Amino acid sequence: MRIGVFICHCGSNIAGTVDCAQVAAKAALFPDVVYATDPMYTCAEPGQAAIEEAIHSHKLDGVVVASCSPRMHEPTFRKTVERAGLNPYMFEMANIREHVSWIGRDIEANTRKATELVRLAVEKLRHNRPLQAQEFPITRRVLIIGGGVAGIQAALDCADGGIPVVLVEREATIGGKMAKLDKTFPTVDCSACILGPKMVDVAQHPLITLYAHAEIEAISGYVGNFSVSIRQRTTYVDWSKCTGCGTCTEKCPSKKSYDHFNEGIAPTTAITIAFPQAIPKKAVINKDFCRQLNGKKCAVCAKVCPTGAIDFAMEDSFVTENVGSIVVATGYDLMDWTIYGQYGHGRYPDVITSLAYERLMNASGPTGGHIVRPSDGKEPKSVVFVQCVGSRDPAIGRPYCSGFCCMYTAKQAILTKDHIQDSQSYVFYMDIRAPGKMYDEFTRRAQEEYGTHYIRGRVSQIFPDGQGQLTVLGMDTLLGRPVEIKADLVVLAVGIEASRGARELAEKLRISYDAYGFFLESHVKLKPVETNTAGVFLAGVCQGAKDIPASVAQGSAAAAKVLTLFARETLASNPQIAQVTAKRCVGCGKCLRCCPFGAIKSSLVKGEEKAEVIATMCQGCGLCTATCPQGAIQLAHATDDHILAEVNALCRL
Amino acid sequence: MPALANNELRIVGFLCNWCSYGGADTAGVARASQPTDLRIIRVPCSGRVDPLFVLKALLNGADGVLVSGCHPRDCHYGTGNFYARRRLEVLKRFLPILGIDPARFSYTWVSASEGQRWQKVVSRFTEEIHALGPAPRFEAVEPLAKACSWTQESKGPVSVISPELLEQLKKAIADKLPELDCVLGWQEGRDLLHSVPLFIRSEDDLTKLRCDATCHNNLVRYLPDLKGQKVGIIVRSCEARSVVQLLQEGLISREELVVFALPCQGLLDLPRLEEALGRYQRLEDLTLTETTLRLRVDGQERVFQTADFRQSRCEQCPGELPAIADQSFGDFSGQTASQTLPPELAFLDSLNLQERMGFWRACMERCILCHACRNSCPMCVCRDQCIAESREPHWQSAEASVKEKFFFQIIHALHLAGRCTGCGECQANCPVGLPIFALRAHLNRIVSELFDGYQAGCDPKAVPPLLTYSQEEAHIHERSWE
Amino acid sequence: MSSDRFLAHTAIGDFLEGLVQTGYTVYCPQKEPGVRQSVIFAPWQKGLPISLEKATVAPKHLVLPQSEVLFRYSKHKESAEPAKQSLTLDANEIFTPTLLFASRPCDARGFAILDRPFLQGLFRDPYYARRREALCVVSLTCPSGCATCFCHWTGAGPSSPEGSDILMTEIAEGFVLQGITDKGKELLLASKLPEAGEKSQEATKARKAAWQSLSPVQDLSTAPQKLAEIFADQAFWSQATQACLACGACTYLCPTCYCFNITDESLDGENEQGVRLRSWDTCMAKQFTEEASGHNPRPDKAQRMRNRISHKFSSYPENWGSFSCSGCGRCVTHCPVGLDIREIVLKAIHAKTAQQNEKETS
Repeated sequence: MRIGVFICHCGSNIAGTVDCAQVAAKAALFPDVVYATDPMYTCAEPGQAAIEEAIHSHKLDGVVVASCSPRMHEPTFRKTVERAGLNPYMFEMANIREHVSWIGRDIEANTRKATELVRLAVEKLRHNRPLQAQEFPITRRVLIIGGGVAGIQAALDCADGGIPVVLVEREATIGGKMAKLDKTFPTVDCSACILGPKMVDVAQHPLITLYAHAEIEAISGYVGNFSVSIRQRTTYVDWSKCTGCGTCTEKCPSKKSYDHFNEGIAPTTAITIAFPQAIPKKAVINKDFCRQLNGKKCAVCAKVCPTGAIDFAMEDSFVTENVGSIVVATGYDLMDWTIYGQYGHGRYPDVITSLAYERLMNASGPTGGHIVRPSDGKEPKSVVFVQCVGSRDPAIGRPYCSGFCCMYTAKQAILTKDHIQDSQSYVFYMDIRAPGKMYDEFTRRAQEEYGTHYIRGRVSQIFPDGQGQLTVLGMDTLLGRPVEIKADLVVLAVGIEASRGARELAEKLRISYDAYGFFLESHVKLKPVETNTAGVFLAGVCQGAKDIPASVAQGSAAAAKVLTLFARETLASNPQIAQVTAKRCVGCGKCLRCCPFGAIKSSLVKGEEKAEVIATMCQGCGLCTATCPQGAIQLAHATDDHILAEVNALCRL
Repeated sequence: MPALANNELRIVGFLCNWCSYGGADTAGVARASQPTDLRIIRVPCSGRVDPLFVLKALLNGADGVLVSGCHPRDCHYGTGNFYARRRLEVLKRFLPILGIDPARFSYTWVSASEGQRWQKVVSRFTEEIHALGPAPRFEAVEPLAKACSWTQESKGPVSVISPELLEQLKKAIADKLPELDCVLGWQEGRDLLHSVPLFIRSEDDLTKLRCDATCHNNLVRYLPDLKGQKVGIIVRSCEARSVVQLLQEGLISREELVVFALPCQGLLDLPRLEEALGRYQRLEDLTLTETTLRLRVDGQERVFQTADFRQSRCEQCPGELPAIADQSFGDFSGQTASQTLPPELAFLDSLNLQERMGFWRACMERCILCHACRNSCPMCVCRDQCIAESREPHWQSAEASVKEKFFFQIIHALHLAGRCTGCGECQANCPVGLPIFALRAHLNRIVSELFDGYQAGCDPKAVPPLLTYSQEEAHIHERSWE
Repeated sequence: MSSDRFLAHTAIGDFLEGLVQTGYTVYCPQKEPGVRQSVIFAPWQKGLPISLEKATVAPKHLVLPQSEVLFRYSKHKESAEPAKQSLTLDANEIFTPTLLFASRPCDARGFAILDRPFLQGLFRDPYYARRREALCVVSLTCPSGCATCFCHWTGAGPSSPEGSDILMTEIAEGFVLQGITDKGKELLLASKLPEAGEKSQEATKARKAAWQSLSPVQDLSTAPQKLAEIFADQAFWSQATQACLACGACTYLCPTCYCFNITDESLDGENEQGVRLRSWDTCMAKQFTEEASGHNPRPDKAQRMRNRISHKFSSYPENWGSFSCSGCGRCVTHCPVGLDIREIVLKAIHAKTAQQNEKETS
């Protein structure tokens, strides 16, 4: 080989504590190095031009640049050497800035360390071979999992961009949590008024295929070409016939069904349409409460249905969709607050969640928007809001902030006053977190204009006082004294958690999740929408607590990522992937078992089972290489020989 | 490379590209000052770090090795660090048996944002390595030729298969033989004391069948090579475990196999018997009962108590026969589990680190790299593709130095982690009597500690622990640097 | 004047110490503890106990080390002109005089078998030659045969002097040392050992007794021809090797197996450098005679076993007029699956050739 080595000064960033000229002089003595120099700024235009020039004049077939982190400029220099006619993978970097010059002041030690890191890079490069990326065609369709506001936004943006969308929603209607809300902060505008039209757009968009009451069964494939199996959960209603007229829901004799959409504040019928603006507006039978499905003679709905849509024999069905990209927008659920004894373990009907309170306030809710106590239907005059129920509580393993409770509590306090002029609201809080645009002003309005009494402290106990009210004991930490409030209704701002089944879904998607089940973005700051599985993007609260504007923004961002991905007809695979030497493979399948991406299959070579890497699926982790006992599967440019060369160069004296 | 300046030691770091390498970058960007000893090798994932790289570095002169990856659950590739955690923990616990201070190796998790944590990890690890000082070099350590007793007090009998039982077995094999390509058993070898494998292909072959306590070869060794043929095999508990392990790994097919199971109380330790017997020309007669072995050698009568010559591995037999037999013969009730420490392992346990390294050094001077240990191992399924001899990948030099020989032994042992069924063939067949089973026994002990008493080859449905992971490890407490 | 000398049991240490003083590195059998006791030829130092048992591993490594550096190479260049480099080769190995004490006649005969291809062929191997010239072999007459050895089948016996410089025979109080070669005689004459005198006759008696104790001889004289005839009989070789594990114990313990491999191994330093190694190869391994293309003329163990047996009992005898087997029996003793070279050769001798088979069937 003919290797050129460039030891970058990076101005004084490196040269300040590393003798770059000496490193270059030593590098010149390394095997196969025919040219070594120490430019001032290698990444700058003249620096890159000098590399190209050296490749031509010294007939280099490999280049080492010692400068900053390869995580920064490896792609830059790969392009540089490619411009000069080299394969971009005949390039290696030594990180002598972040790992040397910036972390120590001893010039002698730094120079020695830099020299050795350059030696490592040279040894590695000596084992490199030109690698070629493969181009493969992609399916330009996107799957969006979750039809809340983030998913809706992503779906509409993608579809408007000309990309066919498959939208899968677990519930019978899209709309998510936002559809349950009465008003939204800080504008106090009607949630249904702003979300409703978007939901209709989804229903009417020619490029959007909606699967409601459906779940992801399995996902295979990889960026550009995923195959998704969707389980269409049975509704016992043939939706192709159902017109959403609602006759069945009026006549259904089973009227004690739990109403999920209304957070259980009032019962509903066994056959329901979630709410008047539901998309799709189709009836669903709740199997647990349906008389006919529980062995009793009924079938009233079937008798009254004008289109004959009821089908008690219906079973789950499966659909397979092929897509090139996936947006995950599965949102959140409330944590189980009944673990808290101090709030009564859920035994007191007038201690409710804030989401239930939304349904109480909502004009389309079961009370028609009249705030009444679940216990006796009376209007509450004293309402206590408790913040951080299951948020920021390390004692139960939930140290994180749910992000938007401070704001909606302020909104609910304001709306309470609007609904019941002579009411008094109290808010027990830890800190008020209102960092958004117009947010702090909003919480101040709740206090100053609406007279909400904010008490900084936790509630220690809630119990019925025996006279129809609840006694709320707490501590006012600002005044340093205990507080006791008589409440007609207590509203708990219950913390959020990753949506039910998020972990299982993450495993199907091969994306990571944090300790609380929220999906992990690729980079906290720079790749907040990407995941570590190429082609899978995140939107909304499934990635972490955020409010509606942030969820919408992330939905759009995810759509932008999808459109970027689909701007090309084909994708280039990463050529740094595992390769099998069939002769060495004994077909034991240990690599198949470990591969996180299902990128290795068994195939017959001359009648013997051998591992085979699916080039476009391999992500280049090298787990297979570390697993294969006979070294038959090797990750390109991180082969055993590459790493051994580095180890030997470092260790042997 | 020039020798490092006096105040620096040789520390090698393997960092995953996505988290820890980024964390080291973050530390650099924050100008977090660190000791200069560490040299970083960038790998895609901690799961890429073959424990053998760590040992290569430690044997080749590294004073310390650090592996750092993404935090568990945070792996860029999803599960790479879960595998790494298991493998690296096994490695860390394996080092002491080689005479290497486990403190010279550490693994941890640092995310790309944790520059401060990285600074702390590097500083602490470097400090610890400096406290240990330069690592002893295997090739320079004083050989320790320590004599020790390999015998283990045994009360157990050895296997004697009654003529009736043998006939019953022969009949069953004869019945099955027409539909089989061959049946693996044993026969008399060069004399009555030495049994060798028998490949039964005809009724005539069947007359040679012998199944007593002199039959030590683990016939399972042959099964992967016979893939594609319909094969019968006679197993005892130890062979049965090897069969199970190969089935788990998909290297043999259950449909192609007919398993004839025999009970076993224990086998004779031939090397020790030969030593006691001394040089002889002719073995004229042999009578074996459960407790007594009578030999007539060069016209002389010699009597041995079998309990004195029972194989030490039989003292560690889990007893129970794994549920894979197609046909069983005789009474298995006499097989009881016994879990004593193998004498070679007990001996190594009694040495300090320096003595252990000296001991292995002395052993490796005798090792001739004949690979009898590897080639008789039923679990060494790489066969002709062993990385110890390949030129690409080039793990080992052809130099027959103590260091290269030791590395070969380490490859063999580590590749058996969680897979060794404890048959002891490796050691039994070593011409120069190296106690290499101790390495496997120690690994088996580690695997059992880490993975809830897991023993290889007992459960056909189990997944070998290093080929799987769990998100929360009950017995692995990763090194915390807080 | 007879060079026969007497070495009392009690004087062994002093005798060896004297040799060390005169510059010899003395190798003698030493017992090594282990799960199986082994006897290894190792450098002797004053105070170390010696064993007179037959060694587990033949002393072949004294003339053909398991791996030896043929030369070192090193590339040099200047920082100012890195594209220009020079190459230096360095093959300066120093061979010190070595004395092998108490090897067995079969071990010594191994040297004689190795000498022919390495010293008497078209090419005289300089590395082997220098080691061989620096070696003085003192062999010990075997008192009897053993269950696995068969030197007398291969044209020798328990006191055969071939390959030895000195033959020593144990008698009542010690050993009679008898000079075989000039080198051996000179060494004895220069020693301070007392003359053997009448004890020589006692030694002769002991040697006779040893020969008489041997089991009956099998005639292997037709082996070269018979093996050549069944060379292509795949069924014979497959049958003979079905239990073979393809390890290298037989060949590495053997005093006469001399196949080697040559590899370049890089060493790390500031400049590029490395060594060219010659190391033992074994025809039992899959890699044996594997060509760079991946093709191997001996793809399976049957063909490789055929190579081992035929070389020892057919092709070597054709070239050199003697078996390339000294009958030490180590391959039989230590084969993990008890493959017995004696049995295979005898089977080959009595095997029917393909032609005979054809005749019978027709």
